[in-house]
Amino acid sequence: MPSIDKNNDRATNEFNQYVKPVSLWADAWKRLRRNKMAVLGMWIVAIYMVVTFGAALLPFKSYTEQEMLHINLPPSFKPAGVVALGRLEERKVELEAAITRSGRADLKQDLTRIENEIIQLKGEVDTDPKHKRVYILGTDYLGRDMLARTIYGGQISIMIGLIGTLTAAMIGIVLGSLGGYLGGWVDNLIGRFVDLMYSLPYMLVVIIIMSMLPTGSNSIFVLYIAIAMISWLTISRVVRGQIISLKNSEFVEAARSMGAGSGRIIFRHLLPNSLGIIIIYSTLQFPSFIMNESFLSFLGLGVSAPRASWGTLVSEGVQGMQLYPWRLLVPAVSMTVFLFAMNFLGDGLRDALDPQSKNRN
Amino acid sequence: MGVYWLSRGVAVLADRGAAVGRSTILEWPVPFSSEATMSRFIVRRFLSVIPTLFIIVTLSFFLIRLAPGGPFSGEKKLPPEIMANIMRKYHMDEPLVKQYFRYMGDVLQFDLGPSYRYKDQTVNDLIGNAFPVSVMLGTMALGTALLLGTIVGITSALKQNKWQDYAAMSVAVLGISVPAFVVGPILMLIFALKLKWLPTSGWLSSRAGALTLIMPIITLMMPYFAYIARMSRGSLIEVMRSDYVRTARAKGLKESVVIRKHVLKGAMLPIVTYLGPAFSGIITGSVVVEQIFVIPGIGRIFVQSALNRDYTVIMGDVIVYSIILIAANFVVDILYGLLDPRISYK
Repeated sequence: MPSIDKNNDRATNEFNQYVKPVSLWADAWKRLRRNKMAVLGMWIVAIYMVVTFGAALLPFKSYTEQEMLHINLPPSFKPAGVVALGRLEERKVELEAAITRSGRADLKQDLTRIENEIIQLKGEVDTDPKHKRVYILGTDYLGRDMLARTIYGGQISIMIGLIGTLTAAMIGIVLGSLGGYLGGWVDNLIGRFVDLMYSLPYMLVVIIIMSMLPTGSNSIFVLYIAIAMISWLTISRVVRGQIISLKNSEFVEAARSMGAGSGRIIFRHLLPNSLGIIIIYSTLQFPSFIMNESFLSFLGLGVSAPRASWGTLVSEGVQGMQLYPWRLLVPAVSMTVFLFAMNFLGDGLRDALDPQSKNRN
Repeated sequence: MGVYWLSRGVAVLADRGAAVGRSTILEWPVPFSSEATMSRFIVRRFLSVIPTLFIIVTLSFFLIRLAPGGPFSGEKKLPPEIMANIMRKYHMDEPLVKQYFRYMGDVLQFDLGPSYRYKDQTVNDLIGNAFPVSVMLGTMALGTALLLGTIVGITSALKQNKWQDYAAMSVAVLGISVPAFVVGPILMLIFALKLKWLPTSGWLSSRAGALTLIMPIITLMMPYFAYIARMSRGSLIEVMRSDYVRTARAKGLKESVVIRKHVLKGAMLPIVTYLGPAFSGIITGSVVVEQIFVIPGIGRIFVQSALNRDYTVIMGDVIVYSIILIAANFVVDILYGLLDPRISYK
């Protein structure tokens, strides 16, 4: 039997060896580190955070700068001028072939235009520094760097995820612990309200709000609020369930018998013990905020130009995807990798923090 | 919970599914303290739907009306006399409260009013034409998700910690992580534009016929397929370790019989209860899919009417969606009790 040695107050195991006490968090951290996918997810999330939020300090190009000569360039490690020139020459060859094949004189005009462009570009390519730029992920329909746009888009998407998660957690914790701890009519009232909200086709309401906003209003701010209002429901149910199962436990009774007030019991005893499950649900909800925001942006109801979230970029990419697939793939893959990593991290945290899952797979 | 949609987007749906599937402690109790019987529970639960619907309709009515702009504030400024005539025709010159009571009266008679945008169609017509399309798409997607999800879930539970399991569960996480508006266009890019195997868009009536269904169904079912696969794997593994399964094995039953008769029956409970939220999620969730593949369902109508501020159509859509959602929750609550004798209606 594990026991406490009264003389030196140290825990021992069944072989009478001393064991170092391990806190819940250290224990969870150990379990999380053993889960390779979760660790990978954690690294990916960390890298995304550093890159997107440190973007202003890192040597990325501007996401607003437009360069008409560099429109829709494919991803390449060569300087932009060379890529653009190569593309023009390809088009010239195609045009020449078309002219000899069909003998259409009207194409001649295009040919002369392209020849002039080639001459102009050749003159600039070695002197103008803008042609020295390298767009490793290509450019969009206005000649903006896709890499920079995706990074700044990620900044907005992740920001919305973070703010949404925090707001949802706050509302959920407050209402969930009130309902769980007080019980009675307070609990019923909150419970009914949560039920009502669950029956609301919520994203429909958000779509209505977003589409009704007067143009030029601060849509990001409204979006934050609208999205945060969605997801406290689940958290509040979870917190409430946890509080109810804890509030009659021995350690809370002990605290109460020592004269602790409700506030102290909630904040010092009940909430810290619910923190694990709150973290789990928040992590699992984080990607859903990003998806919701991107979904709205995809419909054209989210973040407005010049700012762009991943959803905006994906919906822009869809428009020219047959000819310029990188415009769709770059933001879509960046977003998917992040959501993937978040989900693995969330699953890993659940396995690490939820004691009930200790013996599960 | 994927619009719900679109999620309540996919992940939130998934969350609700999780809450539904995981444990009853997460459920806020229905505050009927007497020892109600099943039928009394159903009646009471049904009656509680009415105020919910009422609140939803009222809320959306005022939300929509208080927003600036209207269905007739288009690019072209209309002469004031014509504007006044239009307003009178649609009773929009009356005080808001009077309009509200007029609207509620009509709704109670199942009349959702005229569309402001499509002059020759009523909202009943619009929704009546579009609703079957969305329901058909949703049902097929959910059916596919259920079939594939359980097959994959069972396979990976039986091959636990072997490569089949890892492969299946990676696909499942992918399905949950990738939003529909990424899956849809990428499928379209590969199978319609590059390989030219499938038509890009359209719905049944076009020449390609049933082929037009394939990509929308795959796009729509992905998160639900993934979620069902994960859920069925989890609950199968749990059930396989339970005492009654050990008893069945100890009786000397064949492994296949144990799995079919004992394990599957017990393990399918959370999936059945997940079908409620999944159904409402998938119906509302088809907004994005309908948008991508140009399918004439209620989702498309909804987005268009929201952009056009076609008040009555938006309201009608919200009412239809709410009814679907409430009905799905209702069915789940009842299924709970029917399937799991440990849950009582208190």
